[in-house]
Amino acid sequence: MASLLDASKPRINCSMLSQHIGRGVCFVGRVEKVHPTGKTFSVSDGEGKSATVELNEPLEEELSGIVEVIGMVSSKGVITSTTYNILREDKGIPFDLELYNEALKVIHDFPQYYPFEVAASG
Amino acid sequence: MAVCPMALCKGLDVDKPVLQLLNIRQISNASGPPRFRLMMSDGQHSLTSCLLATQLNYLSDENLLVPNCVCLLKKTVNNTLADGRRVVVVMDMDILKSAEEAGGKIGNPTPYNTDGKMSSPQKVSSSTYVPESPPSAAVPGPSYRNYFSPRGRGGSFTGQAPMKASPMKASPMKASPMKASPMKASPMKASPMKASAIKASPSKGLTVKVSPMKASPMKANSASPGSSAKVIPIASLNPYQSKWTIRARVTNKSSIRTWSNSRGEGKLFSFEIVDESGEIRITAFNKEVDKFFSLVEQGKVYYISKATLKPANKQYTTLKNDYEMTLHAHSSIVPCDDNQSIPTVHCDFVPIAELENRDKDAIIDVIGICKSAEDVSRITTKNSREVSKRALSIIDQTGKVVTVTLWGEEAENFDGSTQPVVAIKGARLSDFGGRSLSALFSSTVMVNPDIPQAFRLRAWYDREGFAINSQSLTETRSAGTGLNVNWKTLSDIKNEDMGHGEKAQYFSCVATVLYIRKENCLYQACPSADCNKKVIDQQNGLYRCEKCNREFPNFKYRLLLSANLADFGDNQWVTCFQETAEALLGHSAETLGHLRDTDEAAFDEVFQKANFTTHIFKNRVKLETYNDESRVKVTVMEVQPVDHREYSRRLLQNIYKLAR
Repeated sequence: MASLLDASKPRINCSMLSQHIGRGVCFVGRVEKVHPTGKTFSVSDGEGKSATVELNEPLEEELSGIVEVIGMVSSKGVITSTTYNILREDKGIPFDLELYNEALKVIHDFPQYYPFEVAASG
Repeated sequence: MAVCPMALCKGLDVDKPVLQLLNIRQISNASGPPRFRLMMSDGQHSLTSCLLATQLNYLSDENLLVPNCVCLLKKTVNNTLADGRRVVVVMDMDILKSAEEAGGKIGNPTPYNTDGKMSSPQKVSSSTYVPESPPSAAVPGPSYRNYFSPRGRGGSFTGQAPMKASPMKASPMKASPMKASPMKASPMKASPMKASAIKASPSKGLTVKVSPMKASPMKANSASPGSSAKVIPIASLNPYQSKWTIRARVTNKSSIRTWSNSRGEGKLFSFEIVDESGEIRITAFNKEVDKFFSLVEQGKVYYISKATLKPANKQYTTLKNDYEMTLHAHSSIVPCDDNQSIPTVHCDFVPIAELENRDKDAIIDVIGICKSAEDVSRITTKNSREVSKRALSIIDQTGKVVTVTLWGEEAENFDGSTQPVVAIKGARLSDFGGRSLSALFSSTVMVNPDIPQAFRLRAWYDREGFAINSQSLTETRSAGTGLNVNWKTLSDIKNEDMGHGEKAQYFSCVATVLYIRKENCLYQACPSADCNKKVIDQQNGLYRCEKCNREFPNFKYRLLLSANLADFGDNQWVTCFQETAEALLGHSAETLGHLRDTDEAAFDEVFQKANFTTHIFKNRVKLETYNDESRVKVTVMEVQPVDHREYSRRLLQNIYKLAR
């Protein structure tokens, strides 16, 4: 998993999950439901679609609001998360998930102007 | 018997004349029953200055008095109006023959006027009374030369003679040469007499009474231009013409103003009038204010005569007339009922989008829908006077919006809740906030005026105008709204040659501070409020300000920063004054001044911390020349934190536009 952190992790939303199977990704979404075991939870993206996140260790804290999940997309379209960030709502400017989604689409529509891959490896 | 109507109006006692009614017209009467004006003819001449006494109104109501009927006037009374016009009021009359029996207009009567005021051929509105034949034949015969002398009309009339009935029927009498062209004042020619269908029966009891006519100042000589009877166009008014009458509509009436200065005190009010030829401003002082203020009403038409003409004081008026008028004790203002030909207001509306191209301080007419209006506020002027003001936003078909400021009572009384059409004549254009308009004392503000442009605007607005996301020429204070902010990047300054024009340009950009010069960032300024001039250290504990011409034992620190900003495209040196400098550095000038003297490390730290901070900068850019050298100078007007969401949206919009 250490290699995962070195490689580039493109930001995606639910519709892009299928194109990134087996790859490390960064997913930002709103926490929907947390499984009672605390090992998995669902997130929704700026378009309203949902994805599932699995954790190696169960959650130790209450999870709510918007989170940034870094992990790998499994063949079943589930994100196996290595680490996550909570974007706290009580601090700073509230995160605009819909606006983020718009930016995501632009990044993916014009990859030539957003050469993250090159930057990561360089 | 054909009795000249003129005899009637001359106040002569004529016993029961028989006349034909040519026309009857109702006059608007604000209070009381309607009045009817009659045009009577004796077959030779017609007289329009006849009024029906109200007790005889039933004759008209019951359709007994119709044009072409023949009437016997049993009792008449002569009245003289304030302006010298004479009218014959018919107190009692019988209808001898109905219109059908009369079979049409008898003879070919030409108009005869007592004083020409009412049916001079120049006046279109009373053309209903002007018969087809020009009054060229209307010249008094020699037999009547004597008749009119007591009127004092001039040399051609002398002596006094008793009037006979028969000669009366003969020729038309024209006492005064009202109409310059056809009139020959003297000598009078005997005109060919027209056969009159109405035979005059000599009435015995006829006596001539030469009544003391109120001398309307009429000249016998047609050589002298203008008499009070003729209405002349406003455009031809000048101080060298003493006798004139104009007929015009009041377009703007001011409130009464009082003044008190070293030479005394008094009160005045002024109003502006318009006719087909032009407009002029009229002022009344002191006593005339009392006399005329309540009489003169905006929108109404009046006959005005006898006032002083003098060159216009352009300081107080923007009307296009070289002259202006002052009323005096003999001035006469009489309401006029017949005002079809007088235009309502002369307005030359400028489309709002065009206002950008007009010069600052220009006087403009504008019309638009009031999209919104602020509440009225009271402010104190430089002269410590309190005045009300209200700002409105108006939009027109160009889709552009501009702010208009109203003052005083107009501001207080304005109601923008119905989004009315607002038209303003004579507003001043200023470059406040880009472009904005202000109503002056002399401006006319009309709400929902009755003019075609107003209806067109209303229709356009209701159909589409209300939905337009309009651009205001008057920039709002908050740069963050983004609707009317001029966003540029730093490279645009050079690429677009910004600031090279005559006027400074304003733009906003997102940029990062790269470096701020620490040296000479602070200066010692005059401690007086409102004075920021640098003071000279006298080295004796005193600091001298040249502007205030005073010395002070202290000073205040003020910031003057030179900073380098950069974005992806370019970098730019800019100047920041006190307010923007304090915003960038996050400390007041006083604190920094103190820090510089006490803790240099902390002072440096402040500048370090400011580096690589990103803000929204609102800037003014202008090409400036100093001793043969021209440089584009950029000054920061405002520093705001970046609103990332708004910025992101803007960037996305730009990307979408570029992607098309």
